[in-house]
Amino acid sequence: MLKKYFSTILIGIFLLGCEKEIQLPLDPNQSLLVIDGGITDEIGPYYIKLSKSTGISEASNFFAVTNAIVIVKDNLGTIDTLKHENGGQYKTNKIKGIYGNTYFLEVQVADKKYTANSTMPQKVALDSLRINPFPVNNEIRYSVIPVYTDPIQLGNSYRFIQKINDTLDQTFHVFNDNLNNGKENQRPLRGGSDSLEVKLKDIVSVEMQCITRPTYLYYYTLYQQSGAGPGGGTTPSNPPSNIIGGALGIFSAHTVQRKQILIK
Amino acid sequence: MKFIKKGALYFMCTIVCVLQIQFSFGQDKFVLNGNIKDQATGEAMIRAVIRIEELPSLGVLSNEYGFYAIALPKGKYTLVVTQLGYEKYKEQVRLDSNLNLTILLRSANTLKEVVVESGRKNDNLLKPQMGTETLNLNAISKVPVIFGEKDILKTLQLLPGVKSAGEGNSGFYVRGGGADQNLILLDEAPVYNASHLLGFFSTFNSDAIKDATLIKGNSPAQYGGRLSSVLDVKMKEGNNQDFNVNGGLGLISSRLSIEGPLQKEKSSFILSGRRTYADVFLRASDEFKDNILYFYDLNMKANYKINEKNKLYISGYFGRDELGLGDSFGIDWGNKTGTIRWNRIVSSRLFLNTSLIYSDYNYNVKLKNGLSNFNINSNIKDINLKQDYTFYLDPKNTLRFGFNSILHNITPSTFSGTVINSNPKKGRNGLENALYISNYYKATGNLSLDYGMRISAYSLMGGDAYNVYEKDLLVNTIRLDKQSFGKTYINPEPRMTANYRVTDQTSIKAGYARNIQHLHLLSNSTASSPSDQWIGNSYNIKPEIADQLSVGFVQGWKNNSYELSTELYYKNLQNQLDFKDGAEIFTLADVESALLFGIGRAYGLELLWKKKEGMLTGWISYTLSKTERKITGINQNNWYNARQDRTHDIAVVGVYTLNSRWSVSSVFVYNTGDAVTFPTGKYSIQGQTLYQYASRNGNRMPSNHRMDISVTYDKKRKKRIQESWNFSLYNVYGRENAYQINFQDDPKDLSRTQIIQTSLFRWVPSVTYQFKF
Repeated sequence: MLKKYFSTILIGIFLLGCEKEIQLPLDPNQSLLVIDGGITDEIGPYYIKLSKSTGISEASNFFAVTNAIVIVKDNLGTIDTLKHENGGQYKTNKIKGIYGNTYFLEVQVADKKYTANSTMPQKVALDSLRINPFPVNNEIRYSVIPVYTDPIQLGNSYRFIQKINDTLDQTFHVFNDNLNNGKENQRPLRGGSDSLEVKLKDIVSVEMQCITRPTYLYYYTLYQQSGAGPGGGTTPSNPPSNIIGGALGIFSAHTVQRKQILIK
Repeated sequence: MKFIKKGALYFMCTIVCVLQIQFSFGQDKFVLNGNIKDQATGEAMIRAVIRIEELPSLGVLSNEYGFYAIALPKGKYTLVVTQLGYEKYKEQVRLDSNLNLTILLRSANTLKEVVVESGRKNDNLLKPQMGTETLNLNAISKVPVIFGEKDILKTLQLLPGVKSAGEGNSGFYVRGGGADQNLILLDEAPVYNASHLLGFFSTFNSDAIKDATLIKGNSPAQYGGRLSSVLDVKMKEGNNQDFNVNGGLGLISSRLSIEGPLQKEKSSFILSGRRTYADVFLRASDEFKDNILYFYDLNMKANYKINEKNKLYISGYFGRDELGLGDSFGIDWGNKTGTIRWNRIVSSRLFLNTSLIYSDYNYNVKLKNGLSNFNINSNIKDINLKQDYTFYLDPKNTLRFGFNSILHNITPSTFSGTVINSNPKKGRNGLENALYISNYYKATGNLSLDYGMRISAYSLMGGDAYNVYEKDLLVNTIRLDKQSFGKTYINPEPRMTANYRVTDQTSIKAGYARNIQHLHLLSNSTASSPSDQWIGNSYNIKPEIADQLSVGFVQGWKNNSYELSTELYYKNLQNQLDFKDGAEIFTLADVESALLFGIGRAYGLELLWKKKEGMLTGWISYTLSKTERKITGINQNNWYNARQDRTHDIAVVGVYTLNSRWSVSSVFVYNTGDAVTFPTGKYSIQGQTLYQYASRNGNRMPSNHRMDISVTYDKKRKKRIQESWNFSLYNVYGRENAYQINFQDDPKDLSRTQIIQTSLFRWVPSVTYQFKF
């Protein structure tokens, strides 16, 4: 976060940035299975999406994996074999998303098996969204603060998905309670320098997810890697995932709440 | 702990006793000693070579304070003293009793100076030190640098084995080591962050600097504490003959220094300050009026000659950077150092320096958001006591021994503010002790050796809890009271270098050194930042160890006005640190829970070809090198390239002196791009494109190259006033060197991935006006 400020100030002041598209020799890619799945506290069905990763220079069509056996179980003994709908989307039939339950995912593609599990955290109420004006250099910039009170118990993690007039903010907003355990949140959803600006009369919608530690780590790692280059960013790697067996992606049980606000 | 202190005391006493005995046995010889100084300014001459024409196999060097001593049988001798940039000094002496002789050297015609002088003519062939480069501060002003501000750290990066941390950046890597593995000393005080303005300037105001020496891993035993190198920067003492005012006006910064005698020949001072003023222009513009960006620094030094045998020096440095955006965001950071030194000539052959040193680095971050605010603070404070003895045993042996005790107080990032819980993190103390002894032994006229041993110890002290982890699991928590000691790490550090002069123009060198590092910089980003924090050894973090083996060959031509030096090195690193993916190094309750450990290796070939005389002087340096790490938990535990692994590194530096007024200089650099990790593939999660990675740092940034030129005009001296103008152009042919590379969806075709390169600095012109009166 600090580094983003540094590079913004530096590049802003020296007006040094000069961007152009280039070609680079890249290593061949090993295509891997990608699992993108979540069980939420909303009413089902839930979907697990399976696809394959592709090379950088290829088009981002991401071939769907349609011949897999996908099973979700919970700690109450429910076993749900998912049905392939289309485009690699597998749909649950009967499993229910409830706080405190643990969900077990099993994916079998040809002779390879992948497993993951995730326990849905308690829901922390999203009370409201607050506009956070930020006057700088004769103009006012805006950001939105999700207002919630972190529970007394340490170890809560949150993810926020922000849309500005229906355009997805690509920044990975994940918070935890390392510093402000038990307190009301005052931290805004401030995007990186390349993310969308929130302006007057915009409608900002925020989805708040209460997530597990592994899901937090997954998204936080992506967030850290996003500031590539000397302005910041850690050396990138595939983020630590809760999926065992060598697939990319994440299997997350989380709660969902949504609110929106007009910037005025 | 008490044991160590007592041990140190015994060690010292024994050595002093032995020396006294030696001394009393050696009464048939007489001692010639004294100080070597610049005639015009009274500045002490460091590492001048003192020889006796009648006894060509003998030779001693003056120490850091310009002191020398040589014991000789009764007789008549011709004393010869040489120092680069100074006229040769010759004097007949008759030695029939101990003789104290102050030698004043006259500055030579400055046109013939070279910028870097690891070899002052033949003398490089005499000195056993390896991988050592000394910068001549007068001459670096001719070398072009960005923003026209002469800078020792940027000039150092043009030498073999030294790599820049990034374009325009004063950070550097030596022989494959990390940026935190350089010991940067300013008048003996460690400087924890040697850069201003995120690296575009170094903390060293060259007006206040006398001499800077870089030792690439084979340092003598009196230095210790970092793995890769020692950069020993010495401030000027101040002219003790005359008052001088020196200044420079540049586009971005200006500086002014005043020096002069307090009591002629007895005491003098120098006061030097510098400030950037980009913020003044920024405030005038609407677009950036809230941007805050400046730094300033102040160097002070005074010395007082108590009597012929005792001299006192006080020096200090204070520097601060401020960066911010209105009152919503601000960060400021800076170093403070202070050194009190007492030189004492204990006997005609024993020189003692005692130093008391204070050093402090801290940073503060402020974030304000409506009614809520948030602060981060971190600091490292040292109190350091040193005693260093130089004993001129006989003309063949010069002994150096002493001790060093540093009390570190390290407070990692602590948080405060309206939204923050009370922060459980507290500062930790650590005591670093070292004892050392080394001998410069001139075995024959052609063979010289410098060998010694340093024993360093680091004791954990109380202040905060220490967690102990085994295979990622917390197995124990050790709480120490503030003044009590925990584990002590003791490491011997043997050091040895040898030099054999084959002919007058050829010599071969070899060396081995072990270096230990007890403090570690925690940074998991690809670039350094003022908010990187230091941490001492703990129960998990063990001292870092480096073993370096090197061999070298020096060949001169045409009476050594040309010189080629070649060095080969191999370095082995142990107990290196890195972080797990996604480690939140600021906010974690215990950052040690996110550490990974491993080993490293680095090897390379360094070539430096110099032209030391004539209208055109300069050098060509080339480094071929490799540096790798193997950290458990990274890259499937396989070897991978360190980010600063750059295979080829070339620098060409030329200074052409047209006449006594005009000179032109130019620098060309080329290096292989950094080792980085580019994605091999991509995939989609919830509609966002993510990238797939294979091995770490298996890719390369595009190679960098660039040429800079500068023209210096020295105006004719009018009475006392000396003026000069420097015009320089950075990146003459406007090369777009890659600063960062990003992969992103093409906004025009989202199914396509775009590779975007950002570059900085094309054609940066600058003008600097300098004056002296």
